[in-house]
Amino acid sequence: MLRYVLRRILAMIPTLLVISVLVFVIIQLPPGDYLESHIAELQSQGEAVDEQKIQFLREQYGLDKPLYEQYWYWLIGMLQGDFGYSFEYDLPVTEVVGDRLFLTVLISIVTILFTWIIAFPIGIYSATHQYSWGDYGLSTLGFLGLATPNFLLALVMLYLANVYFGTSIGGLMDPEYIGQPWSMGKLVSILEHLWIPVIVIGTSGTAGMIRRLRANLLDELQKQYVTTGRAKGLPPGKLLRKYPLRIALNFFVADVGSLLPTVISGAEIVAVVMSLPTTGPILLSALQSQDMYLAGSFLMFLAMLTVFGVLISDIALAFLDPRIRLGGTANK
Amino acid sequence: MKATLAQLLMFLMLSASSSVQAMDGLRETPYLQEKVQAGELPPITQRVPDDLQVVQLRADQSPGEHGGQLRLLMGKQKDIRQMVIYGYARLIGYTADLELKPDLLKSIDVVDGRVFTLHLRKGHRWSDGHPFTSEDFRYYWEDIANNPELSKSGPPRELVIDGQLPVVEFPDAHTVRYSWPSPNPYFLTALAGASPLYIYKPAHYLHQFHARYQSAEVLEKMVKDEGKRNWMGVHVNRDRPYKATNPDLPTLQPWMNVTSPPAERFIFERNPFYHRVDQNGRQLPYIDSVAIGIASSGLVPAKTGAGESDLQARYLRMDNFTFLKTTAKRNDFGVRLWQTAKGAHLALYPNLNTNDPVYRDLLRDVRFRRALSLAIHRYEINQVVYFRLVQESNNTVLAESPLYKPEYQSDWIQFDIKQADRLLDELGLRERDDRGVRLMADGRPLEIVVQTAGESTEQTDVLELIHDSWLQAGIKLYTIPSTREVFRNRIFSGDAVMSIWTGLENAIPTAENSPMELAPTSKYQYQWPQWGAFYESGGTSGEEPELPAARQLLALSNDWSHAVTHDERVQIWHKILEINRDQMFTIGIVNHVPHPVVVSNFLQNVPDTGFYDITPGAYFGIYEPDTFWFDEVRR
Repeated sequence: MLRYVLRRILAMIPTLLVISVLVFVIIQLPPGDYLESHIAELQSQGEAVDEQKIQFLREQYGLDKPLYEQYWYWLIGMLQGDFGYSFEYDLPVTEVVGDRLFLTVLISIVTILFTWIIAFPIGIYSATHQYSWGDYGLSTLGFLGLATPNFLLALVMLYLANVYFGTSIGGLMDPEYIGQPWSMGKLVSILEHLWIPVIVIGTSGTAGMIRRLRANLLDELQKQYVTTGRAKGLPPGKLLRKYPLRIALNFFVADVGSLLPTVISGAEIVAVVMSLPTTGPILLSALQSQDMYLAGSFLMFLAMLTVFGVLISDIALAFLDPRIRLGGTANK
Repeated sequence: MKATLAQLLMFLMLSASSSVQAMDGLRETPYLQEKVQAGELPPITQRVPDDLQVVQLRADQSPGEHGGQLRLLMGKQKDIRQMVIYGYARLIGYTADLELKPDLLKSIDVVDGRVFTLHLRKGHRWSDGHPFTSEDFRYYWEDIANNPELSKSGPPRELVIDGQLPVVEFPDAHTVRYSWPSPNPYFLTALAGASPLYIYKPAHYLHQFHARYQSAEVLEKMVKDEGKRNWMGVHVNRDRPYKATNPDLPTLQPWMNVTSPPAERFIFERNPFYHRVDQNGRQLPYIDSVAIGIASSGLVPAKTGAGESDLQARYLRMDNFTFLKTTAKRNDFGVRLWQTAKGAHLALYPNLNTNDPVYRDLLRDVRFRRALSLAIHRYEINQVVYFRLVQESNNTVLAESPLYKPEYQSDWIQFDIKQADRLLDELGLRERDDRGVRLMADGRPLEIVVQTAGESTEQTDVLELIHDSWLQAGIKLYTIPSTREVFRNRIFSGDAVMSIWTGLENAIPTAENSPMELAPTSKYQYQWPQWGAFYESGGTSGEEPELPAARQLLALSNDWSHAVTHDERVQIWHKILEINRDQMFTIGIVNHVPHPVVVSNFLQNVPDTGFYDITPGAYFGIYEPDTFWFDEVRR
């Protein structure tokens, strides 16, 4: 087991290196660099462009250096914990992202909890009451949530909340609380705004989770040990909780790998539409303006979380499920 | 004689007492009262310059009351520079009638258009209370513009005339003199620009970041802490008056930024040392603070409609008009329609430097460009896309400019397929394929690909209509949307045959504004990027203009910069406009497009109509937002 974990950790190093090359190359693929898109923006606003200053900035930012040198500089910096400098914000990347991390994590965690709280009972109900009216009805509702485009739902809910509850449009709190220290009023204001993105982001995830839980549980429910348990007189609730539900939860642990990065990145598109102060919009605009170190470091961070998440879920699965653990050794 | 002397004495006494009265009549600003009482700020009499400026309110304005917070919405953090544009405190600035008038300066003397003597206001202070003197100008000239490390290629272009640098003198603390050997017609307009030429910098603040005044060890530490490459990076990062990102940088603007980025909401507070005062002795600005909310640009119209902005035009578009109107009543705001000052809202740019020789020869023939223009049904575009609210026009000066002539606007824009056909036939494009598309000399069909920057569907809508009418004349149009950078690179490299973009930036010029925009002087002119690059680089890149008309424009633009009298400049301008009218280097489609401006019902002194454009109006800048005020009684 220890060797297995060690090997997995060692394998992460080349994986991350390859990812870093890919990330860097893909960000550089569109023609031009940050300064060119900056000039283009100024021009489209009719503002003066000082070529001399642009030249100066190009040198300051190191954009005049060859690509491999820029990459090397970035890589070495990251190993030392320096994620580079954001041209757009004129600040180190960590400051730009760090500021928004808390609210992003908050939204994501609340959304995940929301998804679980809704999806679990429904999933279990529709598996145990397969093909009943309740199963059909709830599944339809779940699919509706999956099928409605998130951005559309977001706009509709923003409008309704504004007209009926007087909630300010977009953002996570009323404007007067932005940048202010924490207070009761601020908390209430956040709660007033939080439910919209949570519902919007949550609806699509809920449907997926209901279906997976239902499918996994149905597989187990038809197995013989369930029948045996029931024949021996175990109460249905206890039987369900003790055996098939636990086995059906494997997929849930496997999900942790993809869960970690989503907690940090938030839902980008919904965040842009709703103008949430999360990291998603930053990533998107950094990619658009070729703010390469901001975009690159952020993507690298997400990649690292994914790789770690997968590792954690693999280890957890091995611990939880003897079939995986023992199956692994049996094959050797 | 005695009587006159007595009269003179009396006059002197009178004027003295009146100025004392003006000083006595100054009222303390309620917002700053506490700080003054606590001794953190000097009283009002010591905060304004001795030569204070009493603003002349326009006829549609009324003197106001202090107080309130102005809420604005911006699309991204970088947009807070708009406050420097709206604030529009310049050494010399445009009035609402587009005349130049000293603002931060007390006065400015110009001799022969080449010697400029700037007189500062005595007792004028930066927003941190430090005196604003000629030292600040010296610091810029000697330690920034002529510092080989900070400015590698020397002072900016506007200050270099025929390769000659000015002699800059600082006779005393309140006088600065710039003198060139020959006239510099760019100097004053550059100082008055929406993104102005800053020839003064807060020396007392910036000293600590400059290698000449700061020890190497301290600088080295700063360089390291901030992750810069050298001290220039540190200095430049602090010294960005136009970006307004550094709350520590002293300013002369009416409002100063007090929020460090990154933030979602920026607060600009009143500058306690601002130099303007109203007729009742109230120091401007009336409004105590400005709160800028950052929201996705797509949400700005919705948020504005929900009443979350008191003064909004940025990120609003004509197609938001009906939505804003329906919510205006509920949320107590009005929607006004201002004008845009662009020569054309949309214009086609035939790329005279395109790589394809067959297309290039066609595009360089004036008859072809005229035929393209005649085959556009502008009236239809106006009706279909713009609800008939705009004017069909060439890309030229607007009627509001003193240089306007009707023929500049209206020649070659009537929809006339017959004449277009005749012109195209004359060019030898008689053969057509089975689609009815004309064939070029080498047998290829005449298919024109128009590049768009993919900014809005409006462009593609208009192009779709042009496609239909061009097809009647036997020309097939294709549209390729891309991103701005790709768009521009295709034009520079000559891959693009034609592009669509907005027209002249400043279409309400006077003869004193440079006509450079109409001559091949910049690579950002999409009709002749290579010729523009040739001029810009001084001949090291790009190509020399080949068309006689383009060369003539360049010569005229050069003549303009050496012209001394107003009449000469007017004449040159008309020659330039006439050549552009005749040659149709750009094909304008419509102009005079209204722009919705949302104004809170409680906000006073915002004009009902105006020009909403960065050049020359600095958006709201020339309408003096420091005189806008909130009517709290009505609220």
